[in-house]
Amino acid sequence: MNPILEEFCDKWVWPTMPGAPGAEFRLKLTRDKCLQGWDALLTRTIRDIEEELQNNDEEWKKQHALRGYAAEGVHMSIKQMSAQLLSVDIGEQENYIDLQRMRARQIWDECKHSKLHADVLLGKGWVKDERELMQITEANIQPLPAYFGLSMMFPHIHPLARAAQNYYTEANACLGIMAYIKLCGDDPLVVHEHLSQRDEELMHFMEGKYQLDFYCTTPEAQHHVEEALGYLLHQLGGFGRSPQPGGR
Amino acid sequence: MSLKVDHARCTQCRMCYIVCRELDINAVYVALDPLHRIEIDLNACTYPGCTACLMYCPAEGSIVEAATGRSVVPPPPDAWQAG
Repeated sequence: MNPILEEFCDKWVWPTMPGAPGAEFRLKLTRDKCLQGWDALLTRTIRDIEEELQNNDEEWKKQHALRGYAAEGVHMSIKQMSAQLLSVDIGEQENYIDLQRMRARQIWDECKHSKLHADVLLGKGWVKDERELMQITEANIQPLPAYFGLSMMFPHIHPLARAAQNYYTEANACLGIMAYIKLCGDDPLVVHEHLSQRDEELMHFMEGKYQLDFYCTTPEAQHHVEEALGYLLHQLGGFGRSPQPGGR
Repeated sequence: MSLKVDHARCTQCRMCYIVCRELDINAVYVALDPLHRIEIDLNACTYPGCTACLMYCPAEGSIVEAATGRSVVPPPPDAWQAG
């Protein structure tokens, strides 16, 4: 296992609340599926960073910031993540109010992350102001069929399905950030771009961990999480076949 | 023994508050004076009997043992491993 992944797991994944009703499910999910995806994506990220560091220019840092802005830009974050609030029916809002609040907080976090990417572009002199980013294609597109896992939300509409996204995908974000800070720590703007993201992506991961440990306690709820995770592993990790929503 | 928050490291994410309330211990609260910060009620906190908040806190070093000042985030093995 990559030392960065090992450190992440030892600090944040394996520690488990004694008696947490869904913890056994989460740990099995982690060992059977998540580790494979996390390791593969981290290996790819490290390889990409090492290749990019071989370059004599900083074009890759610009591209990284543009991609980050596209992924987490204010207009993307607000529209897409607000829609995800709708994954809880009105009648169930009271039961999931803390999850809704956490989602609202995450919208703010992601919007702030876009500002961090913009700081790099501004600080390096690659754009003169944030308005200019609206005219740069790379700052406004993503390779996925739908931004921010929105393609996951509609077929996987159970309130806890997004726990899979928080747990699996946000761990990938944490690991990528750990790699960037470790390998590019001599560039203060790159560190600035990632430092507060590190804590906030970890909080989003913890949301997923908490939801799985506390609420994901029935075969029905676990089935929804496994479906969503299967989709994510296929979409973001290239593992397995994309599962059919609702299929058993 | 109880826990307290290191405000220099806490990011005010509320995970500890949510977990503590879910377990109906309600030791974590928002102090209205002076800065609306997350605090832990020394009399209500049942640490080391309960260590739940430590498992979901994402801010390294932000919860410490009140008596010793020892950081318990990320959770040390004795906070979650039996025996």
